[in-house]
Amino acid sequence: MKRTITRRGFMGSVGVASVAGLTGMARPLKAQAHPTGWRGTRRVKKIATICEMCFWRCGVLASVADGKVLRVEGNPDHPMTQGRLCARGNAGTGLLYDRDRLKWPLMRVGKRGEGVFKRVSWDEALDFLANKLKNLKQEHGPESVAFFPHGVSASFFHTLMKAYGTPNSAEPAFAQCRGPREVGYALTFGKGLGSPEPVDLEEAKLVVLIGSHLGENVFTSQITAFAKGLARGAKLVVVDPRFSTAAEKADWWLPIRPGTDLALLLAWIHVLIAEGLYDQDYIRKYAEGFAELAAHVETFTPEWAEEITQLPAAQIRDTARAMGQAKPAVVVHPGRHVTWYGDDTQRSRAMAILTALLGSYGRKGGIFLSTSIPRGGFEVPDFPESERGRADGAGTKFPLGSKDLGITNGLVDATVSSQPYPIKAWIVYGQNVLQSIPQPERTLKAIESLDLLVVVDVMPVDQVLYADLVLPEATYLERYDAPTIAETAKEPFIAVRFPACDPMYESKPGWWIAKQLAARLGLEAFFPWASPEEHLAGITEPMELNLAELRTRGAHKFPGRPYLEDRVAAGEPLFETENGKIHLYSKKLKELGFDPLPRYTPVEDPPKGFFRLIYGRAPVHSFARTENNEMLHGLMPENEVWLAAQAAQALGLKDGEKVVLENADGTKSLPIRLKVTEGIRSDCAYVVHGFGQRSRLLTRAGGKGASDTDLMSRVKVDPLMGGTGMRVNFVRPLALANQN
Amino acid sequence: MTRYAMVTDLRKCVACQACTASCNAEWEVPAGLSRTQIRKTPIKGTFPKLVAGTLVAQCAHCDDAPCVPACPSAATSKDAKGIVQVNRDVCIGCGFCVEACPYEARFINPVIKKVDKCDFCSPRLERGQLPACVTTCPANAKFFGDLDDRNSEVFRMVFSEGASRRDTPEIAVGPNVYYLGKREQVDLVMASYPPRPPKLPVAGVLWERAAKPLVIGAVAMTFLGQAAAFFQQLRIGEKEHED
Repeated sequence: MKRTITRRGFMGSVGVASVAGLTGMARPLKAQAHPTGWRGTRRVKKIATICEMCFWRCGVLASVADGKVLRVEGNPDHPMTQGRLCARGNAGTGLLYDRDRLKWPLMRVGKRGEGVFKRVSWDEALDFLANKLKNLKQEHGPESVAFFPHGVSASFFHTLMKAYGTPNSAEPAFAQCRGPREVGYALTFGKGLGSPEPVDLEEAKLVVLIGSHLGENVFTSQITAFAKGLARGAKLVVVDPRFSTAAEKADWWLPIRPGTDLALLLAWIHVLIAEGLYDQDYIRKYAEGFAELAAHVETFTPEWAEEITQLPAAQIRDTARAMGQAKPAVVVHPGRHVTWYGDDTQRSRAMAILTALLGSYGRKGGIFLSTSIPRGGFEVPDFPESERGRADGAGTKFPLGSKDLGITNGLVDATVSSQPYPIKAWIVYGQNVLQSIPQPERTLKAIESLDLLVVVDVMPVDQVLYADLVLPEATYLERYDAPTIAETAKEPFIAVRFPACDPMYESKPGWWIAKQLAARLGLEAFFPWASPEEHLAGITEPMELNLAELRTRGAHKFPGRPYLEDRVAAGEPLFETENGKIHLYSKKLKELGFDPLPRYTPVEDPPKGFFRLIYGRAPVHSFARTENNEMLHGLMPENEVWLAAQAAQALGLKDGEKVVLENADGTKSLPIRLKVTEGIRSDCAYVVHGFGQRSRLLTRAGGKGASDTDLMSRVKVDPLMGGTGMRVNFVRPLALANQN
Repeated sequence: MTRYAMVTDLRKCVACQACTASCNAEWEVPAGLSRTQIRKTPIKGTFPKLVAGTLVAQCAHCDDAPCVPACPSAATSKDAKGIVQVNRDVCIGCGFCVEACPYEARFINPVIKKVDKCDFCSPRLERGQLPACVTTCPANAKFFGDLDDRNSEVFRMVFSEGASRRDTPEIAVGPNVYYLGKREQVDLVMASYPPRPPKLPVAGVLWERAAKPLVIGAVAMTFLGQAAAFFQQLRIGEKEHED
């Protein structure tokens, strides 16, 4: 057979150094710099899988040659992603090939916090952990083990922990993120919103963002819909003390006094009712408690709100009228991280009530409805009942706390106080508890009191330094996970994550680790499947899918029933409250002893010389997870602190200089660059979350920038659901020159 | 004829840098460098009456590209479709073109020690794919096409919707990268990032028109001088040296 030797192929076979030496060139160029060169010389396979650079779960295609992932791109066949992908998704190989990855199981030999370990085998590690877990169960009961999971692969560990007998699992997704929203919307409409949040941005005529900084906060498909809506002419209201990227695009920017959003919402509701601008048919047909609501908001005029929010009454009235005009195609974006001031469930309730008044729930251009997909499972024994119940107060101290997602800070409190019973061990899975949970000093105190800290992760995140046992998980590109079943998409779908390459080093997929531990603990019966393929077949059994096609394309969508008329046609209930009505007035809250209608509670002003610390996201990073990724670190190596020009001038501080942030309790941050700008109110300071990480094992991200979490020595806990209000801390910038 | 152009709709762009990351991954651009960048303008105005915008920067594949004459090794050239190409086999990494570019779109890639820049993803175009930045853009804000095709999206955006480009009366080299958006935002972007005076095209021109004859002249003069000295020495003979 005749073979044509291309220049590229020839160079590849001769080798880099000799050619470079012969020609005096630095490197053979195209083969190195242009990945398209693979095509000529290597067979490139495209593997459909699911991204995990954040939690949005976009569909991706991994290009693989010789067992190496060369590139990760958006999957055009994925119903949500449609071939698009954010910066983080594009940088997926930066995680896979991160030099700092956890490579093999480690056991601590140094002191906690030193980060000195010895390498052990998986057998040693798993035997050690299984024995510890058996002993803990015997001596202190299974509830003495607390579990802090995050991410899809944690689902197998959830099963393991329940089978072991501990109810104490808690994800920051609830008490540090969207918990208040889920509770607030469930109280009103009978169901939480879920993720991805069902906002019909592409069809909206008006979008209202309250503290949501879409654009800086990027979920690919939500950005696609947002931009499409704007291009179609949707009007935009942005409520934010900072001139965000979204505010740049806004028709109305409302630079609200931080912490007063509930007053603004009540005034909007007042205008809609007072001027008869609400959807009267919709409310008459579907809602109850309107009379109580109308009476409640009677005095909450725009003028009343102006005093509190420092927004002109005319602007409040104008924006309310714009909503009334655009109804029902109005998205009042419910937000995602909404644990701000401790009255967050009530604020979310106000947003739900506003949505109801606009007739937007279940309507085109508003909030659409989720569609359930039948899913299969496995026959497993019943999980053991815990006699002592949860330690975090979910369902007891915090009556509306989630028993599925738990209350992380509740578990920290229980660990520190040994109340209601001692917690002796933590298993932390795929989250950085020192960055995700406020009051990190308290978290450290809890960790120091533990008999056992186990960390399962891909990267040596902060708490790895304190771990007794470290288990290296394979990255999302190297593992199978439980399929994503997205019922809150307009067209619901199932998508699968299958490995694009073998796990590197000695890392292992989460399902394997959970199954191995289950076998050692005598809990195999809870994992009655032998392989990922068998697991997927079980879950998808009632969906009648061609699994080979599902794996090739990566996803399969089902017809959706996103609007009320679809539900009517299908004979389904419209709202999932007990009586099928929208609850403007909440009898349930009344029974529990809380305000049945949301009420504004005043926030304190910053002490003299201090600024309220507000925080958010950058489009190129996810939480504290991506800062060490070489590609993303290159795009944004550290964060900066925004300060109003007027305030900076008064302090004699200049744009670009490094400062240290000190909070009102005397806690100081690492140095951070100052951004002096007109684009923020003069009573607050803004930083991007996720920087200032402690772990020196993160050779790029460690110690870079300032951590907002470190400055959160105070929280205000939401009495309804236990979430931590985190925007209750005050900081002042100190010139670095004055620091020792 | 084909004249490729890129239009970014700044009303849609959210400055998320997916374009930069996708480009970097596609072309293995070393971390910290990029062929296409997002730059946020300073926030202008007085609180709360503010305006800010975003520049999406990349090689503009100018009609009259100053990098072409600046290149001493003829590695940089315009191809038949209007794309400014760099032949890396010929590039000597001197950086003259980097200085010449009015848009700071070029850089020396430290790994390969050659110039690096956007080529509108030429190899992707050859395979029938769009540039990586266009494909990945979550906001669907980037549009690529042929300005010589009257039915193309970019033709409409440039010639009907009046997309702007980074030109000044002084520096107008025909960039083929355009911006659509709210007037005040586009104006702010244009004002914040004007093209810089091409430095080395002047040097290049100087080299061609003035320096080159001078050097050749100098070499010639040296030769002539040597010859004159030689003949003079022949004529007068060796002088005796005195210490």
